[in-house]
Amino acid sequence: MATRKGKQALTLLLGQCVPSMKENAAKIRVKKLDFDAHLNMYFNKHEYLYAHDPEKLCKTGDTVLVQSLPSRLTRIITHKVVNVIYPLGDITDPITGKKSVVSKYRDDIKRVHEIYGKSENAFDYDKRPPRGSQEGKLDFSHKEGYVKYHEDPDDPQTHAVH
Amino acid sequence: MFANNVRCVPVIVGNILKISNTLARNYAFKSNLKIKWVRPEKPSCISTEISGDLGLDVKVDPNEYCKKYWNSKELEDADDIVKKMFTLDFNKRKTTVVVQREKITSLVKNHFMDTTSMETIIAKMTNQILQLQEYMKDHPRNLPTKTHLKELIEKRKKFLGYLRQWDYKRFEWLLEKLNIIYKPHPHQYLPVTRKDSLRKLTTKHCDKLVQEKLDAYRKELEEEQKIFFKEKAEKLAFIRAEEIACGVTPTVTEEQIEDVRKKAAELQ
Repeated sequence: MATRKGKQALTLLLGQCVPSMKENAAKIRVKKLDFDAHLNMYFNKHEYLYAHDPEKLCKTGDTVLVQSLPSRLTRIITHKVVNVIYPLGDITDPITGKKSVVSKYRDDIKRVHEIYGKSENAFDYDKRPPRGSQEGKLDFSHKEGYVKYHEDPDDPQTHAVH
Repeated sequence: MFANNVRCVPVIVGNILKISNTLARNYAFKSNLKIKWVRPEKPSCISTEISGDLGLDVKVDPNEYCKKYWNSKELEDADDIVKKMFTLDFNKRKTTVVVQREKITSLVKNHFMDTTSMETIIAKMTNQILQLQEYMKDHPRNLPTKTHLKELIEKRKKFLGYLRQWDYKRFEWLLEKLNIIYKPHPHQYLPVTRKDSLRKLTTKHCDKLVQEKLDAYRKELEEEQKIFFKEKAEKLAFIRAEEIACGVTPTVTEEQIEDVRKKAAELQ
């Protein structure tokens, strides 16, 4: 009997980018539901996978769409990053297409401030550079933190926490 | 006689072990690498290292009026001694704290009545943290205050984490304005041990050695590249000349030769 190998289906997954040490690849956390037959309930279960990302599209915390590769690139890289759906802290409402902060639109917040009389020092979105201006200077959340384990002035452990 | 010999055996074996290091084996493996591990000192939970405050350039003059009397018309034409009575210098410490709070919150306020936005709340907390850190230097045994300060630092960190998720640009701007370092919590807070630290340091050392070797090999190959491209350009030119001389349509174009020559020149 002739065996025909069908085309391998390429799956798309939605996951969140988590900090990792790998270069050219992003570590993605995908949430899945795990059924507990005893309790007859579903529970959250997280799976981790590595997605190829040579252009460095996604940053830590972004919600991204990843696609499985026809063959694995390396031993651990099995997917590639297709698109960034929700950048962290810069959400666009999918229905209206407006930028939003938690439950309010940015425009609405701005209008309220203008009614009160906006102060000179107030935050302005247009004047700010894109995310990453304080990376490695004041903001150390892009990489995984660890507890400080060694004291060496030549090699200060910048990402370490006491 | 036999018993005497048997008694000597452990002594002899012990001597052999002492003489030759290779034979000796202690209770655990000891690395030959000369890595010196220094246990990091744990700073106080209320120190600036933990809170991440790098200091703010906000100065409060003791000759300023208390916040209550900033808009007072009566004080304008009052006597000098009366004026002095309403300055920060002649009032409680709390009045100075209030003035400093006003100055720090004005750095981030959205409008003059803004007291509830996240950035203002964090600015207020920062003011209190800076004040209490100074206070704790003189009163290190004030434990309720110490606890309050510790909780305040942790709460501010939590709030900064929230703001990071909600609005990243605003979060970065706030860090810049208030001069705070933000480091998220690690996955686990495990105690620092000698064994684990040495393992990490050894791995680091080995990675460094591998990288050095790879870099050296890369340099070697790049050196070879210079000669290779030079030769390639010459050989391509020769092939083209030969083909033209034999009356065959040349397979090598002038552009190809130019490209290779350019590359060779770049590498030189």
